[in-house]
Amino acid sequence: MATIRGCNLPEDLYYLIDKHVWARPLGEDLIRVGITSVAAKLSGGKLAALTVKAKNIGNEVVQGKSLATVESSKFVGPVPSPLTGIVLRVNEKLAADPNMAISDPYGEGWVAEMKPSNWDAEKASLAFGAEGVTAYQAKLEAENISCS
Amino acid sequence: MSDDKVMIIMTSGPDTPRRCATPFFFASLGAAMEYEVTMFFTIDGTLLLKKGMAETIYPKEGGKPVSDFLQDALDAGVTFLACTASTELHDLQPSDLIDEVKMVGGASMWQLAEDCKTVLTF
Repeated sequence: MATIRGCNLPEDLYYLIDKHVWARPLGEDLIRVGITSVAAKLSGGKLAALTVKAKNIGNEVVQGKSLATVESSKFVGPVPSPLTGIVLRVNEKLAADPNMAISDPYGEGWVAEMKPSNWDAEKASLAFGAEGVTAYQAKLEAENISCS
Repeated sequence: MSDDKVMIIMTSGPDTPRRCATPFFFASLGAAMEYEVTMFFTIDGTLLLKKGMAETIYPKEGGKPVSDFLQDALDAGVTFLACTASTELHDLQPSDLIDEVKMVGGASMWQLAEDCKTVLTF
C-alpha cells in the first residue's frame, strides 16, 4: 500500500492513470474495476450517484470508453473502463450508497466485474506495481493534485 | 433514427435562473454516457448564450453561475445550436452570442428531432 500526496494507491492494481481507474484480476477470466482515490478527490469528495450504463451490462466496453458515470454537486463525468471486456456484474451496493466508491474505492466501492477481451495485450498499457505508482505520482505532481 | 443521438431544447432563460443549470448538467451527463448531445436554444434560452450573460445568473444563491454549467457541457463535447428567429425576438445579432454556438433555422430543429432517440425540453 502506497500513499502518494495523500492519495492511497495500492501497488497490486493495474491503473489507467489518465482516467483514474483501476483493474484487479480476480481469476483467469474475471477482472474487477473501480475508481481510484484520486478520482474520488477530483469528483468533489461526495457523490450523488455512480451509475453503470444499463446498456453496458452484458456487452463489451472498449478500454477508455465510458463504463459508468459519476455525479456530484461539483462534477459530472464518465468512469472510463480500464480494459476492453464484457461487463458481467455491477456493484449493486453503489446504487444505494455511491459514496462507498469514495470511502472504500478499492474494496466495497468497486464498480463492475468484467470478462476481459484482450487482457494480455492491454495490461501492458496499464501502470502496475511500484513502477506504476511512481508513474501515477508523476502525474499527480505534474497536475498538482493531492488528496489531503 | 440514431440510437445514440439526443437533444435538449432549452427555452428557459435569465428570468428563471433555477431552470438554467440542470439542462446543462443533463447534457454533460449524456455526453459522459457517450451520447451525441445537442442543445438547441430558442425563446429565452438563447439569451443565456449572449456574451457575458451566463456569468451573471446564479441558479442557487451562493452557488455556481450558469456559465460554469455551460462550460462543463462544452468541455464534455455538447453541440450548441441556436434558433435564428429567437435572436430577432431579443434584438440580438449572431455576433452578440458566444463563439461556440452555431445559428440555424427552425427546420433544423425538426430534422434533428427526427434523428434523435430522445428529446427533452426545458
